[in-house]
Amino acid sequence: MRLLPWHKPHLLVRPNNLKLRKLNTMEYFIQQLINGLTLGGMYALIALGYTMVYGVIQLINFAHGEFFAAGGYVGAIALAYFAGIGYMDSHPIICLTASFMIAMAYCAYLAVGVEKIAYKPLRKNSRLAALLSALGMSIFLSNGMMLTQGVYDKVYPGELFQGRFDFGMVTISYLQIMIVSLTACLLVGLNLLVFKTKIGMAMRATAQDKTMSALVAIGSNKIISLTFAIGAGLAAAAGIMYGLYYGSVKYDMGFVPGIKAFAAAVLGGIGNITGAMIGGLIIGMVEIFGAGYISSEYKDVFAFIILIGVLYFKPNGIMGENIDDTRV
Amino acid sequence: MRRRVLSIMIMGLILVPFLFSAVAAKTLKIGSMSPLTGPYASDGTDIKNGTRAAIEVFEEAGGMPGYDKIEFFPQDTACDPRQAVSSANKLINLEVVGVIGAYCSSSTIPSSETLAEEDIIMITPASTNEKVTDRGLPYMFRMCGRDDDQAPAAAKFLKESLGAKTIFIVDDKTTYSQGLADGVKKASIALGMEVVAHEHVNQGDKDFSAILTMAKRANADVFYMSLQGYSPAAMMTLQAKRLGMDSQIVTQDAVFQPKYMDVAKEASQGVFLTYGFTDQTTPQYKAFEARYVPKYGKIAAYATYAYDSATALLYAIKAAGSTDPKMIKAELMKLDFQGVAKHIKFRANGDSGSSYIAYKVVGDKFVPYWEPVNGLIK
Repeated sequence: MRLLPWHKPHLLVRPNNLKLRKLNTMEYFIQQLINGLTLGGMYALIALGYTMVYGVIQLINFAHGEFFAAGGYVGAIALAYFAGIGYMDSHPIICLTASFMIAMAYCAYLAVGVEKIAYKPLRKNSRLAALLSALGMSIFLSNGMMLTQGVYDKVYPGELFQGRFDFGMVTISYLQIMIVSLTACLLVGLNLLVFKTKIGMAMRATAQDKTMSALVAIGSNKIISLTFAIGAGLAAAAGIMYGLYYGSVKYDMGFVPGIKAFAAAVLGGIGNITGAMIGGLIIGMVEIFGAGYISSEYKDVFAFIILIGVLYFKPNGIMGENIDDTRV
Repeated sequence: MRRRVLSIMIMGLILVPFLFSAVAAKTLKIGSMSPLTGPYASDGTDIKNGTRAAIEVFEEAGGMPGYDKIEFFPQDTACDPRQAVSSANKLINLEVVGVIGAYCSSSTIPSSETLAEEDIIMITPASTNEKVTDRGLPYMFRMCGRDDDQAPAAAKFLKESLGAKTIFIVDDKTTYSQGLADGVKKASIALGMEVVAHEHVNQGDKDFSAILTMAKRANADVFYMSLQGYSPAAMMTLQAKRLGMDSQIVTQDAVFQPKYMDVAKEASQGVFLTYGFTDQTTPQYKAFEARYVPKYGKIAAYATYAYDSATALLYAIKAAGSTDPKMIKAELMKLDFQGVAKHIKFRANGDSGSSYIAYKVVGDKFVPYWEPVNGLIK
């Protein structure tokens, strides 16, 4: 029998003295909170892309979930390459950072290309045309990944961040810490970019009024491309985190998280960046708490019940402004 | 009038090539049904490859008397009952003599009823749900074992070998996984173990952290995972380990697939699963291994069962000397030989017996660990 590097002798059955005490109510709650935060963070990163694009050109970019999947794939390929040339063991952090950079850059480029090919020619047509084009692009990209990468799960290499902390019975893995903190950094960075820089101001101006901002010399095409690029970059980051967290990626993985993130964007008020973050966290939390306290069978139902409930009382979402006629 | 007769005759000539081809290339058509796309594509591909390997071996050994060649039509069911029925209809239109498949019990059950209307022989290499052969369909056969044999064997293993007192069960609501989970629950209770929870997840779920936290709180001796396919099982195993859930994970035959260890990595070590016993020292198995591995890769899950199913079907057709389903069935019932995966001898209802034992994941292999009669192996 060939022993793999990760083979370790395993205890057959736990000896009785190893039997740990059960989680108490508080620990159970905290554990689920951590699970929800990790999942919600990933949803938030994807939701931002939906909301930013909607904010600028009022398009629901249904191909956005595929940028997330593509990011996961590029990350897997980059990490496998680094592992192949032996850099992974000596410089894991550099390799991981580089993989994030490569995947985010690739997806940003992909998104700009998709916008140029599928949405820009339709910008003057009805919004329905662009929406259908987005659905078509989603199918095209997902099948493209299936044909080039195969139907099997692509395994994330290495043992990055596999350790964990135990606080009493509450477990936090390094990966969860990494995901939550990186998500927080990206969200803060995005907020700074949008609300504190000139580019951000130009983006907000374009979102408010394309014609007027063009009159004050803001190139709306450039801003739209940039919006797509940033949104896809964040989705790509979420894709790698997803791959690291769940151990593998697959060509159709963009669909379900894409729909959930879209729901998160709508919940938070589509077009509103803070709203998307809050919406993502709420959807993630509701899913985990619904599964953990009520029924894991119907966890998706709870997320959508919340969505319907909020939209019933506040049709523009939690943070949504009252959109006046001139903006729509 | 003469011109009209002539023109009809000339038009009739168009049909000549068809008559000709029907005489010239006499082919025997065999179909297979398994998921070739979607989450269970790897298991489905094993079934396709196993069937193809059996046809190749049979043709090399002289082929089917009276036929020039055997044509093979693999169909994709995607583990979707509707697609399975449409593949069955497609195979009926192709006029196949027999079908090897399907994989998911939820596909096999409806598609077998379609095939039964046309009296086409179906041998499933992988569907373990009891209903597959319990519906009294005359031409439905099964090469693998039954869940109502697997569940008691699993429960016996949990009690006798692992000494489990409490069990946490989870399934993904497919015909197969839920049927098996219910069976294990019943058998475990009968053996005096306590089932602390029986939870369900959905097909296609990736995040199991909530349910695993629930399992961690329950802190049962055994976490019994009944999922359709290796992929969700591997993800669940990985997440369980990361979450610090330290109940012993025990799972079932759908996870018997080396890719499970690729995805779950070191978290898969020491996991137990029940799967049919295959004597890997028989000359039949060695010959199959020598032939299959270089061409199709690692032997996984249901390749051997598909190979045996196709071999049995071809032997029976040869012995019957006809494609009449009644005669083929009579010959199938007479078969009594050592196949690759097991000894093949069909029973009246179409089953061929179960031989569930427990395997343990060690390194990248499933090592036989325990069997119901004599306990620990070696």
